[in-house]
Amino acid sequence: MSQSLRPYLQCVRSTLTSALSLSNFSSQASERHNVPEIEAKTSPEVLLNPLTISRNENERVLIEPSINSVRISIKIKQADEIENILVHKFTRFLTQRAEAFFILRRKPVKGYDISFLVTNFHTEEMLKHKLVDFIIQFMEEVDKEISEMKLFLNARARFVAESFLTPFD
Amino acid sequence: MASPEVHHLFHHPIADHSFSADKQTLAVARDTSVELYARTGNGFKLKDELKGHDKTVTSVDIALKSGRIVTCSQDRNALVWEPSPTGYKPTLVLLRINRAATSVRWSPSETKFAVGSGARAIAICYFEEENDWWVSKHIKKPIRSTITTVAWHPNSVLLAAGSTDAHARVFSSFIKGVDERPEPGVWGERLPFNTVCGEYLNNSAGWVHAVSFSPSGDALAFAAHDSSITVVYPNGADEPPRAVISVSTQLLPFMSLIWNGESEIIAAGHDCEAYRFKGNERGWQLTGSLESKGRAGPGDAREETAFNMFKQMDLKGKTKDDTQLKTVHQNTISTIRVYEGSGGAVRKFSTSGVDGRVVIWNA
Amino acid sequence: MSIIQQVSNASLGDNWRTINIDLLDPDSSSNFDTSALHPALDPVSEQDVRALGQHVRQQLRGGDAEGALRTALENAPYGGDAAAKEVHLQTVTEVLQSIKASEMTPMLQRIFGAPGGGELLDVLMKYLYKGMASSSSPSSSSTPAKRAGSNLTPQSTGFSQMGGRPGAQNESSGAAMSVLLSWHEKVVDVAGLGCITRCMTDFRKV
Repeated sequence: MSQSLRPYLQCVRSTLTSALSLSNFSSQASERHNVPEIEAKTSPEVLLNPLTISRNENERVLIEPSINSVRISIKIKQADEIENILVHKFTRFLTQRAEAFFILRRKPVKGYDISFLVTNFHTEEMLKHKLVDFIIQFMEEVDKEISEMKLFLNARARFVAESFLTPFD
Repeated sequence: MASPEVHHLFHHPIADHSFSADKQTLAVARDTSVELYARTGNGFKLKDELKGHDKTVTSVDIALKSGRIVTCSQDRNALVWEPSPTGYKPTLVLLRINRAATSVRWSPSETKFAVGSGARAIAICYFEEENDWWVSKHIKKPIRSTITTVAWHPNSVLLAAGSTDAHARVFSSFIKGVDERPEPGVWGERLPFNTVCGEYLNNSAGWVHAVSFSPSGDALAFAAHDSSITVVYPNGADEPPRAVISVSTQLLPFMSLIWNGESEIIAAGHDCEAYRFKGNERGWQLTGSLESKGRAGPGDAREETAFNMFKQMDLKGKTKDDTQLKTVHQNTISTIRVYEGSGGAVRKFSTSGVDGRVVIWNA
Repeated sequence: MSIIQQVSNASLGDNWRTINIDLLDPDSSSNFDTSALHPALDPVSEQDVRALGQHVRQQLRGGDAEGALRTALENAPYGGDAAAKEVHLQTVTEVLQSIKASEMTPMLQRIFGAPGGGELLDVLMKYLYKGMASSSSPSSSSTPAKRAGSNLTPQSTGFSQMGGRPGAQNESSGAAMSVLLSWHEKVVDVAGLGCITRCMTDFRKV
């Protein structure tokens, strides 16, 4: 399984690099407004085809590009119930602090665990290749984090159970 | 090839730039104002600032002969700045559009200018003496979406426009009283206002980011979001064009292009560097980048010694410092303009980008 | 004089406030006709696609993997309906699955070098993405083929009775995905990022 991680991340990286070709686009629907077109979806011609990259059924990335914004949604691998809860808590922690992240979206797209919204203003301020690096790194590390949290959780549960049941021995 | 002249003006995106005829003044669109820089020695120093717009200035153009500057912005306005001994004075322009203006260019005769807008119309503006303002006539049909770019034909009557509906169109903007009747050419004969002389769509239908006529006006090139450029050779008003050649590249999309003579195009865009295309009616190919690769990096050379490698690993936890791109521009190039050239052949051209740099290159 | 409470024939019920006026206004920017963005596509029937699939399989059995891939890629049913496109996706998947990893890059380079090759690789990329998108739906689609649709691999049927970890099904689609992903990497090496941008902008859905 791990040998498909590298091509998966490479695929996401190249797709993201092409999708991040954004330009400043003023809204056609409302005057003097500049909105991320992928969120507003007012005109079909400025939206591009969404692309999915999947490693298997449980892990995939949806990239929805448009002329001035890109929405990247990630589904993190969750093998069992406890990982479901851990991922939910972890993403909640991040999304509650979304302002500090700039590119994080507060609510994930339906069917996915976490979503990023990158607009042309972000690519103007920040370097595009570093943004891509960040997202790839995020995907790599979140799996590690979840496994680590699960291990700690199990260790703590075991310790607590032991110390609780010791008097009854 | 001599190395390019880099001017890192500030750390904000430059939407558009324009040089004056004597190349001593550089107008740069920065957020809601236009900054004018005067050349001092090898660099540029801020000389003046034109503040008149409420929202981002999207385009700026200096008329070469008269020195007038026209600017347009996302606040639906355009302004013409007249040079005067006490600075630049804005003149009212009646655009009558109800969405943002995206692009403005003076015609070669400098009696009118074209403004592309998100209101799905192009406003052709000419000066009216009685009221001392610039009035506009709109080209509306058959535009279906925001106009992203406009370019003039050398005869000042034909106008090419690219739009987000993936078409590049050529219109006639003949205005009685302002223009002289143009000679019939490959684009057509009788050309009243708003005639569509040609409408072109390429196979993969990406938004058109840049259009340009060749120096003679007999060919049109446009760059689209599907990472391709298309060159059209027309054959008269009612006949299909002699050739429509599309070159799909393996690179990221281009945002801007210029012709260098009749058989070469220089285009730049999201790859942060300029590329050269050569060809003619029978075919066009990408010949290569204008930057020499394998440079040690702009400014100080980064040594690839083992010592440095371990030092980086210790400091940052990774083996290579890839924060800086190997190209001169560190972010998308948004505009490319002819800097020095004669009779269509370009000796030097200038580029400006989202990283706040203006660079002058040798062609 | 009609008062708002009076329900006249002209009123459209209680939820007239929720009508999206932009969609009804022919002049508005949301009413862009996206069919204007591509030339008219000839309709392709499902029979034609199946016949083509047979032809491609024959080429595969004859050992001509490159020819099979080319045939499949050149005749993408842009004008067909969803079923026809699914069938073709399966055909392409089969071809891709049968090509060995070591042969991928030289074959891609040969196709790219031939005239019109860039377009073929663009279509290939579109099928790769289509394969990955469809395989993430509950149907087991292992689509290693770039173009072809998903083949139903024999071992992916029959969901195991034990809950918890999704067993065999996950592994087989995982294997299929990894083939698709490795093809994707090789195609990007040969055709570059422009291939991906064309996938995104092209309105002709494969």
